[in-house]
Amino acid sequence: MSDADEELSLLETLDHLLDRGVVIAGEAVVSIGDVDLLYLGLNVVLANVDAIIRTSQPKQRQ
Amino acid sequence: MKLVVIGAHRERNDVEPLAEAIAVSDLWLSGMAVEESQPLGDRDLLLRVAKTRAALLDRATFVAIRYGFTAHGESEAMAKCAAHIDRWRRVLNDFRDCVEMTLKVAAAAPRARPDRHDFESGAAYIRALHEATRATDVAPEFRKAVDDTLAPLAVKYRWSNRDTSSLEFAALVKRQNVDAIDDAGAALKRDFPSVPFLLSGPWPLEVFADDHE
Repeated sequence: MSDADEELSLLETLDHLLDRGVVIAGEAVVSIGDVDLLYLGLNVVLANVDAIIRTSQPKQRQ
Repeated sequence: MKLVVIGAHRERNDVEPLAEAIAVSDLWLSGMAVEESQPLGDRDLLLRVAKTRAALLDRATFVAIRYGFTAHGESEAMAKCAAHIDRWRRVLNDFRDCVEMTLKVAAAAPRARPDRHDFESGAAYIRALHEATRATDVAPEFRKAVDDTLAPLAVKYRWSNRDTSSLEFAALVKRQNVDAIDDAGAALKRDFPSVPFLLSGPWPLEVFADDHE
């Protein structure tokens, strides 16, 4: 597996962990410092799309 | 200690010894014990939970619980999960031999994300963001190919607009069809080399865990 594929796989795994599944009422707000993980989740999604494009079109990016 | 909850399972043996099992009615939650002071945003913890989640799915299908839910024992877990138990039981019984697969595809013509500074009210901004997201679409021929090749392999499937730059096809598939889905994805890659997409899975019950009656 290439580094780009590993990066994409990790991003995809984190996206599913942070942004999917049943939300339980009363769930604690998860944060890193002052950054809400909700936003981290969103950034993972955006980075994920970017990574898909990069790894799908490597020659066009070089 | 607190337990970072990973999923809801039908059998205790689906959980142990990979994770700690917490009884909720006749179902079981999987949890990972961490110190009370442990920040949930810790990178190593996230990776440990992700790894355990994958191992649990290898064992048996479960309902994924969004990261961030913690419990200190059965009574607290039961109090917080009571409203979900009946639905989880139905989902776990009906889809025990299924997993989810997702295909994310970049939009053919991404919409510009609205700038919140251009709006006088938060409501107007949210409406504009929703409209921009809803208007995003993929190339029709690619969407048709997915509907023609992947969808027939699924028990259920759904297209959803995730943001202004991508859409997602989520499919609930029987475990024995995962290889066929991967093969169909490889064929799509050959047929549409210029369309950036990512087919991934198997995943636990995430998209289809909430709406099953």
